[in-house]
This record gives sequence, structure tokens and C-alpha cells, in this order.
Amino acid sequence: MRIALADDHQDVLDFMTSILEELEHIVVTFPDGERLSQGLMRDTFDLVILDWNMPKKDGLAVLNWMQEAIKEAPPVIMMTSRTAKNDITAALNAGADDYITKPEDRNVIAARISAMLRRSTTSGSFETKAVYGKYTLDRIDHKVMYDSKEVTLTAKEFELIDLLFRNRDRTMSRDYIMETIWRTNAALTTRTLDMHISRVRSKLNLKPENGFRIFTVFGYGYRLETLN
Amino acid sequence: MTFRLRLIIEWIIIALLANGVIIAFLHWDITASFDNLLYDGLSESARPTADDAILIVAIDDASLKEFGKWPWGRDQHAQVINNIKKLEPRSISLDIILSETGEPEADVSLSKALYGDPLSALETQSNEPAIFLPLHFVTPGNDGRAFDTILPAPLFLDPLNHQKNLGHVNLAFDNDGILRKNNICFQASEEAPQWPHLMERIYQNRHNKPSATLQKALKKPLCDAPVLIPFSASGSISTISYSEAANDTMLPDSVRGKDIIIGATAAGLGDNYPTPSSNGSLTPGVEIIANMLGALERDDFVTPLSLWQSALISLLPIWILLLGFLRWQPRLILMASGLIFLALLISSAAFLYFGYWFPPGPALAALLLAYPLWGWRRLQAISYYMGKKLRELESDEDSSPLGLIQKKSIDLVGKQRDTLDQAIDNIRDLRRFVTDTLSGLPDPMFVINMDNEVILSNDILNIRIDSNLVGGDLSNAIDTLVRKEDRPSVWQYIDASDIDSANIIIDQEEIVRMVDNYSSSYARFTSPRGRNFVMRRVPLRNNEGEYRGYIHYLADITALARADSQREEMLQLLSHDMRAPQSAILALLDGKIDEQAKQSIANNSKRTLQLAQDFVEIARMGETPFDGEELLIDSLVEEVIDSLWPLANERGIKIDLSNIDDGTFIIGEADSLSRAFMNLLDNAIKFSPDNSNIAVKIKNMEFGKTTMVSITIEDQGDGIDSDMLPILFEKFTTNRGNEGRAQGTGLGLSFVSAVIERHHGSISADNKRDGGAIFSILIPESIENDE
Repeated sequence: MRIALADDHQDVLDFMTSILEELEHIVVTFPDGERLSQGLMRDTFDLVILDWNMPKKDGLAVLNWMQEAIKEAPPVIMMTSRTAKNDITAALNAGADDYITKPEDRNVIAARISAMLRRSTTSGSFETKAVYGKYTLDRIDHKVMYDSKEVTLTAKEFELIDLLFRNRDRTMSRDYIMETIWRTNAALTTRTLDMHISRVRSKLNLKPENGFRIFTVFGYGYRLETLN
Repeated sequence: MTFRLRLIIEWIIIALLANGVIIAFLHWDITASFDNLLYDGLSESARPTADDAILIVAIDDASLKEFGKWPWGRDQHAQVINNIKKLEPRSISLDIILSETGEPEADVSLSKALYGDPLSALETQSNEPAIFLPLHFVTPGNDGRAFDTILPAPLFLDPLNHQKNLGHVNLAFDNDGILRKNNICFQASEEAPQWPHLMERIYQNRHNKPSATLQKALKKPLCDAPVLIPFSASGSISTISYSEAANDTMLPDSVRGKDIIIGATAAGLGDNYPTPSSNGSLTPGVEIIANMLGALERDDFVTPLSLWQSALISLLPIWILLLGFLRWQPRLILMASGLIFLALLISSAAFLYFGYWFPPGPALAALLLAYPLWGWRRLQAISYYMGKKLRELESDEDSSPLGLIQKKSIDLVGKQRDTLDQAIDNIRDLRRFVTDTLSGLPDPMFVINMDNEVILSNDILNIRIDSNLVGGDLSNAIDTLVRKEDRPSVWQYIDASDIDSANIIIDQEEIVRMVDNYSSSYARFTSPRGRNFVMRRVPLRNNEGEYRGYIHYLADITALARADSQREEMLQLLSHDMRAPQSAILALLDGKIDEQAKQSIANNSKRTLQLAQDFVEIARMGETPFDGEELLIDSLVEEVIDSLWPLANERGIKIDLSNIDDGTFIIGEADSLSRAFMNLLDNAIKFSPDNSNIAVKIKNMEFGKTTMVSITIEDQGDGIDSDMLPILFEKFTTNRGNEGRAQGTGLGLSFVSAVIERHHGSISADNKRDGGAIFSILIPESIENDE
């Protein structure tokens, strides 16, 4: 796939390019936001990965420009060394589909990019029985098997874990999760979702030793991360 | 000329004027009309009763009608005298001039009636009444003499008595033409003989000695000592008509033993004069002399005080008042003036009671002159002084920083009033301005006087310490403002900046040097509430350069001090904590780059990164306000554990989370809390031996009405150095001596502590009995807010 990569640091470009080429993608690099914009005008990409802090035009400005200037804009992953909650939510709310904090582990980056590409290409696919490591989801009977043992879940808990596994390695907003599962978010407090997440986490023992972890993006939403 | 000197000079002028008035008025009798009026009034109220030993035989209108027009024949008089003599009076005086001779036969018969028959004189002399005759004076006299003394005709002189029965009957009139006084003795010149009054002759004849009044008069040159006659009520002296005597129809008792005075009373005869007792009509001359006889017998002539006596009595109260002018309040002066006025009148009456006459007029005049004059001069002086001062004030450019309010008025008094109004307004403005400026100063300050008493403190200071220092002393103020440890140094500064109160600086250079000195030295201290201050004190001086106290100016440098300490931390960070790992990396790069070296480089690099991260976080936290959201603390801790799993797993370390409760919500900052737990757990992993356990326990604890979440993290390492425990959460605390425990960042734990504090929680660290450190955190639970 064609991936546009923009960063003003050559070593970051090299590092990212090596990951992406390992995943057998085509990478086009840009040294700043201005060049990226020009590139996006001329060319079509399946994914844009851009740095926040860039000369001439920063990541946020490019994002805003893309919302207006490009029809059917490709998904965007923002890379940032800013780890504060407000910065991340700002990026996500500006239209980024995900973000990667620097520095990040090679494998994590690869998983996140794959998840993003998978979603953008295979959305709508449906499997009646899916296996994710130690976990097997039966979507017909609404059952989850963990280490070949059935875990008792409520209907909403199953829907939640189904949603999380389907969108693993992708950050979902609270609103998205709540609207998907409860259809409406009117009567819900954030506590309800938090408690559901907490319960699912402990019932399924979603821990790094089992290859998964639930990651809270505070002020935004959740992500189920797969670990190797 | 000073105000005081001017006033003194004016006082002296007024004093001289008052004295001059008294002396001049007394001397020229200028207030005579007032004094006479007063005298008449006073004597009216105290008339002596008529002497009943005196009988006037009045040549009245009835007699004239009977005997025809005056003069009558001397034989007529002889007849009357003979008739009277028969009734044995004590004496007979004729107030009739007998200087010329008349019809010889009649003259002889009168002479006989008077002195008896010269031939039979020896027989009759013993029981004969004494006869007294008047002499009179003609002005001007012949041959250039002032007077000619006219004696009765020789025929009527007492042949035996050598003129001792003769006396003058002169009258002395005051300027207003009223007869009040008379001389008891008359002497025309030094060489001339002294003639006693006719009535004095009667007195001497009876008592064989001169009267006291005459004795006094004789001591004076020309025996000139007029005395005031105490008149008895008009017409109260027993009187019979001449015709009665002539017709011999007198009652014997009314004549016997009496002093008979024969004189004219008829209006047509012209011998009538105005006297104080005449009340608008006239008093006959014969009644006047009868009154004199009564006064001689009673010895109650009123003696006028001499000029110098009067002057003395008049000056005394005036001087009291004059001295009072200099000392007393205007109100007291007014009262004193009134009292002195009354006292003069009363003393005049009192003198009269004791037989002396003191004219109060001159003194009263002086009083009436001096009082308003002084009042006027003093008003003038005050007005002048005020005007001058007001002009000075007006011309003083520094008088008001707010500018002067100008008013316009046309007349002088109005102008002065306006200037005064304006000056008062300006001073009020200025005072207000100064007070507002002081109390509104944005930094605390207080002022003490030379007795170390606090006399002023501004609003901000009062608010800061929540009390008022005014009224207390300096040591009280220092105790309130300065924490105990800093007090000695503050006192040292105060003692050093104290100045000798006797020392008055005049030299400008000296002042500049001192001000420099005061502004460059200061005391720095921390208040009991933990704020940092710099205190400067500057002496206060008045216009004369005397020291009046000190201003203490406190500058709050808490923010500066914090910035200072942050700069220190920054330096510490850069100079050691950042530099050391970088140097280590450089050193490692010099050597052989094997796997172990790579690992070391990565560790050192991470350490630096972590340090920078912590530093930034701490700095940011100090700047941003608390921005918490409701979050599940259990999830947060669990995710931190999850994120550290690779690190722990690598060394076979197991992190066990036990949360007894279903999950607890708190209000927290996810970022900072995550990082805080990350630091704690990272430390725990770092100091844990391989293949050990780390226990994380979360549970709710009730503290009265509030529920706290307790999170404890226990490791199985060597524990914390006991020396380190008390300072564990301070910045850059690293136990550098101890390799095993020292590799942590200097900021990690102080960051954790700051975060927990931000969440109104608490953190403590301890060592377990079986080794290993335990960190305990308490954070208040969020109460569910159902909407």
C-alpha cells in the first residue's frame, strides 16, 4: 500500500520507513508539512503518517487542511512526542484516526499501523467464530472461551469485548463505543462504560501475559492493544 | 518682625495709652460729668439726716411780703436778733453782708443787738450767744491784688473777739455749675491770712479746737483742700421764717440751745444755688452752710482722693487686665473686663461710704479703650499672620501633589476666608492622599515611632496577618511576622540599622550616603506561614531633621524565591543529573560496542529522558491548575502495571494487583497520576531482586464521613535507607553513597509527592519489618454525582 510519511527528522523517517518496508508497504517521505500538502494534492495514498512538530506547516494544520481540501481523505496517524492528555485528544478531535507517541516500541508501531490499514480496507467483514490468541469469540452464541473455558458475560459485556477485538489496536472514542453498544448515550454516565471495561478486563484476564492489554486514552476513549 | 514681637509691641503701646488716659483724665477731670453724675446718684442714696441743733431763720418770700423790699433797715435785724437772743440760742450767725455802714442809728442798734451795750458788756457777756459774721472777697482787688478782703463794718466787729467770729462763706462750683464741695479754709496767697469758713468758726467756738477737716486742710498749700458736702435732704433742716422771729412768735424750744443761722432763701434775693440735693431747683446759700455745719459736727465731709491716690487705684485694675491680655483666653479677658468695670464702680461707692471720693471715670474710660483696642489689634495681628501663612502655603509648590483648588472672591475678608478654606481643603486632600497611598500600597509596611511602638500598618499587612499591629511594640510585630528561626537575623539587621536619635543630619551628602546604605541592606526572612519576605527599614525624619521613627517595608519575594530555587534545581539537573548519563554514554561509545554496552547506553539514555520528562512534568504541574476528571483508580493502576509488565517480566518479577472492592472512582488527572504510579512501580521493579513479587493493594478506607482509596505498593528489595526516609520526597534526593539504591532519578519521588498532594491525598514510605519498601497512598473517593 502507499503510505505518505512526513517528519523533519531524517532518523525518524529512516526508522519508520524500515518498519513500513518490513510490512511490505510503499513509502513516500516528506520533510515538512508544506511538501506533504503538495504531495497529497498530486498523489493518492492509503495512509498518512505525519509528525506534529514540523517546520512551515505543523501536523495539526495539515490535518485541518486535509478535512477541507481532500475528498475521501485517507486515514491519518499522528506521531507526537507530546504525551499530555490534552494534546492527544486535540489531535484525535482534529481528525486524526490514531496517534503514536514517540518514542515507541517497533512492534507496537507495526501493530497500530496494521490495525489502521486493516480497518480501512476490511471494514464490514464478519466472521462467526474468531480466534484472538487465547480467546475465541462465538458471535452466534455470544460466548467467549478463554483457555478453552467459557467465561460468563452479560450481553453488553460480550458486545463490548467483540467491539474491542474487532477494532484491536485502534483507538475508539467513548461516544463511538457507547453509541455502538447502547445505541444511545443519553442515560449513560461515563462510569457505566468505565465499570464495564474494568469488569471485562478482569473477567477475561486481559493482561500482557495473555498477549492483550486495554489502554485508556484519557479524555477520549479506549484501545485494545495486542502484544507479542 | 515675628508675630510675638509685634504683639508685644502693640501691647506696650496699648498699656501706655491706657495709663496715659487715666493720668490725663484724672488730671484734667475729663470724665467729670460722668463722675459727678455717679457721685450725685450715690450721695442721693445716702443722705445724712439733718442736724436738729441747727435752725435757719429764713428771709423768705413771706418776710419780704411783710417787710417790703430788701434791704431792710438794720434796726429790723437788731429786733430779730434781740427776739432770738431772748430764747437763749447757742449761737447766732448772720449770712448777711454787713460791710457798709448804713443809717447810724440803726447800725448802732444792730451792733448793740449783736454784742450788747458796750457799757454793760461785762455783765451780760457770760450768757450771751456767740455771734458769727461773714466776710467776703472782691475780685479783682485794688492795687493789683487778686482779692480784696472785705470785713464787716467796724461797728459790727466783736470788740472783744479780734475777728475770731468772722469766717468766709465762699462757694465753689464744679464745671457743671453745681455746688458739691467747698473749702473749709481760704487763703488768697502765701502772704495773705488764712480765713476759716464761717461754720468752722462756730465749731471752733464750741469745741475750742479746729475741726479735723480744717487740720487736714491746713497741711495743704494755701490750705486748699476742698471737701464734698454731704447734703441732707433739701429742706430737711429746721427752718423758721424771719417774720416769725421779727414778730416774736417763735416757739422757745425751737430756738433754745440751737445754732441759729439767719440768711436769705427767697428766690428774688439771688442767694440760691444748684446742689446735688436741690433736684433741679436751687438750694439757698444758708442751707448750704447749715449743711456744712452739720458735716463739721458729724465730721463726715467727703474727702476727694488726691490725683495720685486716684491714679494708683485706677491703674491697679487696668494693669491686672493688661497682664491678663498676654496670658488669658479672650473669653476670660471679656469676663475680667466686666468684673473690673463693676469693681471700679463698687469701690467708688465703698470709698464714698468711708468718706472718700474716688472718681472711677478715668479708669473706666481706660478700660473701655483698652479692651476693644486690644481685641482689634489682636484680631488684626491674627489676620495678618494667617494671611501671611496662607500665602506661604499657597506658594509652596509641594504642598499638594493633587494640585490646588482655586477660589475667587472680591473683598479681602472673603479672599482670606477662601484662602483658608482652600488651605484646609488642600491639607485634608493631602492627608487623605497620604493615608490612601500608604494603606493602598501593594506591599506590606508598618511604621514605628522612636519608642518602638507601631503607629501605622497598611491594609495589605493587616489582611495578610489577619490582625492589626498598631499599638503593639516592635518585638511583638517581629514575633508575628517572622518565624522563630529567622528572628535573630532580623533583630541583627534592626540593631545595625538603628541610629542614634540625638544625631541630627544636616549635610545633604550624608543623607544621600545614608539612603544608599538603607536601600542596599535588608533582612530576609520567612513568615510563620511560609512566605518569603525582604524587609527594609528607613528612618523617618521631620522638617528639622530629627528622627521620628522608622518605616518598615516588606517585599513579598515568595515567587522570586521559588523561581530562585527552581533555577537551583535546573542547575542541579543540568550540571549533574543530566550530564552524568550522557558522559557515561560517550564513554561507552568509545569502547567496544557489544550487547552489554548497548544495553547500558539504552539505560543511560532512558534515564536522561525520564529525568527530562519528570522535570517538565513537575514544572508544568506547578503552572497549570488542577484539571481532574472522574476516573476508575483501579483501571488506572492496572494499566500502569500492564505497561510495566515487559520490564518486570524480563527479570521474572511478578506484580500482583489485589483490589478488594469493585472499583473506586476518584477525581484525578490521568496523566500525572499514571506517571506517578509509573514512577513508584518503576522504582519498585528497579529495587526488587529478580524473581520476586511486588504487591499492589487497593482498598477503600473510611475516615469519618469521607472515604479514601488506599493504594499500597510493597516490594521485596532491601528497603530504604533510614537516613533517607525523612527526606525521601524532596527534590534531587538520591542516596549517592549507596550504589544499590541510588540509581533512581532525583525527581521521581518528589514528582509523585507533588501529584498526590494535588489530589488532596497523602503519601508515605516505610520499610517493612521483613525488608522491602512500602509506599502508601491515600486519595479521597469521588462521590457519585447522579444527574
